[in-house]
Amino acid sequence: MSDENTQDQAGGETDTFDLWVAGTEEPQFQPTDEGRQEISEHESEDRLAAQFGRVVEDDYVFDEDADDDERMIVNMGPQHPSTHGVLRLQIELEGEIIRRTRPIIGYLHTGMEKTAEQLNYAQGPTNVTRMDYLSPLHEELAYSLAVERLLGVEVPPRAAAIRILMTELNRISSHLVALATNGLDIGALSMMIYGFREREAILAFFEKATGLRMNHNYIRPGGVAADLPPGWKDDVAAILKEMPVRLQEYDDLLKENPVWLSRTRDVGIIQAEEAIAYSITGPPLRASGVDWDIRKVFPYSGIDQYEFDVPLGERGDVYDRYRVKVEEIEESLKIVEQVMDSMPKGNYRIDDRKITPPPRARIDESMEALIHHFKLFTEGFKVPAGETYVAVESPRGELGCYLVADGGPMPWRMHTRAPSFYNLQGLPIAMADSLVADTVATIASMDPVMGDVDR
Amino acid sequence: MVAGSVGGEADIHFDTVKVSVSPDSWVDVHTKARDDLDLVFFSWLSAIHWSNDVQAGDSLNEEVDERFEVLTTVGDLTEGRRVTFSTRLPIDSPSIASLVGVYTGADWHERETYEMFGIVFEGHPNLVHLYLPESFIGNPLRKSYPLLSREVKPWPGTVDVEAMPEKPEAPEEPSTENPEA
Repeated sequence: MSDENTQDQAGGETDTFDLWVAGTEEPQFQPTDEGRQEISEHESEDRLAAQFGRVVEDDYVFDEDADDDERMIVNMGPQHPSTHGVLRLQIELEGEIIRRTRPIIGYLHTGMEKTAEQLNYAQGPTNVTRMDYLSPLHEELAYSLAVERLLGVEVPPRAAAIRILMTELNRISSHLVALATNGLDIGALSMMIYGFREREAILAFFEKATGLRMNHNYIRPGGVAADLPPGWKDDVAAILKEMPVRLQEYDDLLKENPVWLSRTRDVGIIQAEEAIAYSITGPPLRASGVDWDIRKVFPYSGIDQYEFDVPLGERGDVYDRYRVKVEEIEESLKIVEQVMDSMPKGNYRIDDRKITPPPRARIDESMEALIHHFKLFTEGFKVPAGETYVAVESPRGELGCYLVADGGPMPWRMHTRAPSFYNLQGLPIAMADSLVADTVATIASMDPVMGDVDR
Repeated sequence: MVAGSVGGEADIHFDTVKVSVSPDSWVDVHTKARDDLDLVFFSWLSAIHWSNDVQAGDSLNEEVDERFEVLTTVGDLTEGRRVTFSTRLPIDSPSIASLVGVYTGADWHERETYEMFGIVFEGHPNLVHLYLPESFIGNPLRKSYPLLSREVKPWPGTVDVEAMPEKPEAPEEPSTENPEA
């Protein structure tokens, strides 16, 4: 914020919350000001080159003498329903064509990496689950896998299978929100209602199993918080029976719908090379035709035992990203079915009282159990010094956790590789030289979750 | 293999291959990794503050050399080879060459590391704050930076500072006991 504005605020001469009645003199509203983070009308060649990226061939020459009528900088957000949270975009338009886009982020920044340094390893999942609020279970999984690798422990087969079951269901629920909001932004309102309706069935199951609809803190270092509830098979079977019918409904609604096609085909294209250069992962990368899925290359929690395909797109446009998400839902359903049929028996967490708390009943009987319980919930368990990077495939791409332990009960440093962060960084590429009307379609197809971007 | 071709020391920590290199060769190493070793995919960049003066979180068990460690992880998109590069920077006025020319995707992460640790990335085309407002002073992820919200109010549950809801601090109804008894 510039000095002028600060003085204005201190002087109290302008009140931004004054009501303005039409016809009277306009009060001086103070715009949101992020200083040099904002787009500028006069930028150096270097900064322009950075915005266009190394691999983007763009014949746009920055014309200092262009008439103001031809070039206009439009602000969008941070409070805008189509920006999926508190994302702010500044767009330079030439007529109806978008020339430059600059995402301005940080409106949801809460310093979770700093907070993680003050929480012990058992409290860690409560923190990370609040990052990507649409796929909290993947966040917990990445963190727990990193802690377990540093501890050198392996969870029982049942815990691993429950983790896969829950994360794949989470992928479906997350993609359903992405499809629903993508539909909403383009005007397919039915899609919005359908998507949220089916997601409700999955969230109801999550609530039954974990106690919460989001921010579950269910996957923890050493296993999961609780065994699956009685009758879980019936609930999952009901979802498996319902979803293919609903997916067919979505296809009837959108797949060959001429309005949907004209709004999404060849809109917001990202070439494969561009996606790689900007570290874009997940459905936007696969829609550009790059066969890269963490589940196949770095399998975790025994996901390599299950059969599934990696759907790919060809053109890398909004339509391909929509198709990839729909097909990923189908693949996730296949995985869920296999996990359900082959769910191993056994413990749902490791039987090491130094890491997981004893069962409630044991505390009344055994002094040792009481001590373990007390130590775990006051001091937490210690993790030997070391560092590791573990990545899982979240609905948005490569979600990684870099964890540095110093031998104490709290991490020395935790860094999260947030997929939305990179996907959003590549947004200007998808939007360059497209029409202003396609802006919201492109944003929605990249599926950014601001909690994941800002952390 | 990677260490030999870029000239650094390799170290394997829990399945993570970490190669320590000198800060002077930072850009060369990454150019080689991208072009010769085909590690085209930039995964992430961040830093660690190794410090003995800790304001937030636990202190280290042993004294360490005060330093910043800058880390990147790059990989390929075919076989799943993944390497973490690491370099150390002095605690006073840390600076290193920017990787934006090699991996475009490093742009935002360098800005994040710049504002969070105060590490200057020379040659970055637009090194301004990413998350924090322009007027923000300080580098929050440095260990010397306290977590202020926790200074003001401790973690819920750590200390029961508030009265339990069932028991108001002062009883509302007059005492039934005879004060003279």
